[in-house]
Amino acid sequence: MLKKWLLAAALATGLSGPAFAETVNILMEGVPDTEYVKTLLPEFTKETGIEVNLEVVNYAEMHTKLVPQLVAPKGSYSAIVVDFYWVGEFTKAGWLQPLDERIKADNFDTSVYVPKLMDLVGRVDGTTYMLPFYNYAMGLLYRKDLLADEKNKTDFKAKYGFDLDVPKTWDEYLKQVEFFTKDGINGVVNQGLRPDPIAMEWSNYLFANGGEYHDANWKATLNTEAGVKAVEQYATNVNKYGPIGSASFSFDEAFNVMAQGKAYSYITYNFFRAGIDDASKSAVVGKVEIMPVPGTEAGKGGSLNGAWGWAIPKSSPNADAAWKFLKWVESPAIAKKRALQGGSPTRTDVFDDAEVNAKYPYAKALKEMLLTSHNFPVFTYTPQLVEVLGRELSLAVAGEKKPAEALAAIETEMTELAKKDGKLK
Amino acid sequence: MTLAADDRRLNDLPRAEQTAVERRDRMFGWLIASPSLGLLFLVILFPVFWALYTSVHDYTLIAPNFDTFNGIDNYTKALGDPEFRHTLWLTAFFVAAVVLLEFALGFLVALMLNSVERFKAIYYAILLCPLLMNPVIVGLIWRMFLHPSLGIVNYLLSLVGIDPVNWLGSTKVALWTIVMVDIWHQVSFMIVLLLAGLSALPREPYEAARVDGASALRSFWHITVPLMLPVIAVTLLIRLIFAVKTYDLVYIMTRGGPGVATDLVSYFIYRTAFVGLNIGEASAMSAILLAVIMGLTVWLHRYMRSLT
Repeated sequence: MLKKWLLAAALATGLSGPAFAETVNILMEGVPDTEYVKTLLPEFTKETGIEVNLEVVNYAEMHTKLVPQLVAPKGSYSAIVVDFYWVGEFTKAGWLQPLDERIKADNFDTSVYVPKLMDLVGRVDGTTYMLPFYNYAMGLLYRKDLLADEKNKTDFKAKYGFDLDVPKTWDEYLKQVEFFTKDGINGVVNQGLRPDPIAMEWSNYLFANGGEYHDANWKATLNTEAGVKAVEQYATNVNKYGPIGSASFSFDEAFNVMAQGKAYSYITYNFFRAGIDDASKSAVVGKVEIMPVPGTEAGKGGSLNGAWGWAIPKSSPNADAAWKFLKWVESPAIAKKRALQGGSPTRTDVFDDAEVNAKYPYAKALKEMLLTSHNFPVFTYTPQLVEVLGRELSLAVAGEKKPAEALAAIETEMTELAKKDGKLK
Repeated sequence: MTLAADDRRLNDLPRAEQTAVERRDRMFGWLIASPSLGLLFLVILFPVFWALYTSVHDYTLIAPNFDTFNGIDNYTKALGDPEFRHTLWLTAFFVAAVVLLEFALGFLVALMLNSVERFKAIYYAILLCPLLMNPVIVGLIWRMFLHPSLGIVNYLLSLVGIDPVNWLGSTKVALWTIVMVDIWHQVSFMIVLLLAGLSALPREPYEAARVDGASALRSFWHITVPLMLPVIAVTLLIRLIFAVKTYDLVYIMTRGGPGVATDLVSYFIYRTAFVGLNIGEASAMSAILLAVIMGLTVWLHRYMRSLT
């Protein structure tokens, strides 16, 4: 009790120094991957003598808690975790310490990270600010039992003229969505709630049609054939093949529809793959598998990438200890232990590990998903862009705007934001 | 009334004509009021002035400083933004709907409860339950109830042969769903306040009316309503101000969607500030909202006074 009080007092006055055992304070989100880190912390304290204090809150609170501490000359967090949403804002505002010198001094190998993740939550304009922590790329959850059903196979072949199997292309998948909307089951369930559920899910539709958000010079490329098709397909899936109300579903509601066996497929974050086999939440245990969102042709993926990174803020009271922790938590041994508990890896060596693959046969699909995934635009105004996307896509799904109109509106605002940020000249 | 009149007379007197005792009394009054006045200044006036000051500067979370003064730019930009104007109109509609419906319903229930003799405490307790709940929890509970295929509301409707209603996913229904949930949550506030007013009414006028043979409707219209006007005014005013600030329900239930069907102004201002990082413009929007609410308050106050 007294120790806690003293610690609090020391923190409050910003004097947390070597008088006691050193403590690394980290603000984290209450998600499974945080729990996995928590179980391993005693090992770190035993090795280094440094205590780790995780302050776990839910996502909505994180940004508001972080900003005041990041702006302060000396904040209370030694290290932080950064969602890819915030990368542009945090680096532009100059709140994160570059890690390159520490990486070099300790010969920490960053080449083992999946390159797309380093682009998303690692390096910004050539400087390394973060180490990728876990990934939440989106994949396609589908009912393998329905695919294997003999009657479905013959009916499908008779209707479409090709075999019913795991979809190799996006068009094949869309036909399956149409086909499986029968017998009280929906072909697909969508998460149509503004802003991030719909924006994130629709991004997969855009990539699956071969589209991208912008070209190399940040010129918006949304109001294109691929973009229009993506909006039309999305609206059709929500309004025609989806369950009633999916225009307002967040991911938990959509997941419940899938988990209750009421839908053939659901494009969502990879961490739901573990949830679908949890008998306390799901009525379709063992019947669902995950795969990369298929693209325009076999081998091309349409998945949206997503990830969190570890970083040390400039306001960190004890950056050296924080780096010791980062080095430890991202070491091969600890990264593997996290993955074995169900964590979502970012390192290729962990993905290829035999033990991990033996325990989680879908690890291969998750890796494939990452390798063929596409990144969302990362810049200072990423959250604002998500907001605009959410509004316009939701209007298009509600039939209040034509797809091309909605996309034109997004392009206008995206161009404005990219100019404001100096990305677009 | 008399106190206020005394006070006014006191104020009108030239300083020299006030006796020493009166002056000392006034000094003492200021002295004991000063801590609370100081606190009010710190927690209310200071933030308001800070927001007003911010609203005429280019203040963003990326560059949180007052280096660039930009006059009324933030105001013209906000008023020129069709999305902001849409949220203002939508909020006006929403406020009118919830305040009027809650008032009608609340008054009805209050009148019925006023004549109840037994178990009043139990009715009170039940009525207060929704009011004690956090709006976030109310939103979450109703989101579950209203799930179109897995929720209990549509299930119950299906038992009587009604097709599932798309409560939150249809642009035509969503705002009314929010209105309905808000009524469920807030109507007891109206009931409790109006009931307090009703039970404080004098009995004599009613007895006189009964002797004169007035019907229940007539005595309601000619006695209850006029006597209740001050209470009604205050109740409407408080509810109106709270309704303008509605944010939590929308945040939890629809995020302003589908489309822009439930995008209320408070949620829009929040997004301008913390998603768009533009504190300056968000402050300007808040100032506009403040002006509108103050105008409404003054108008309602004057109107109600003119009636009594």
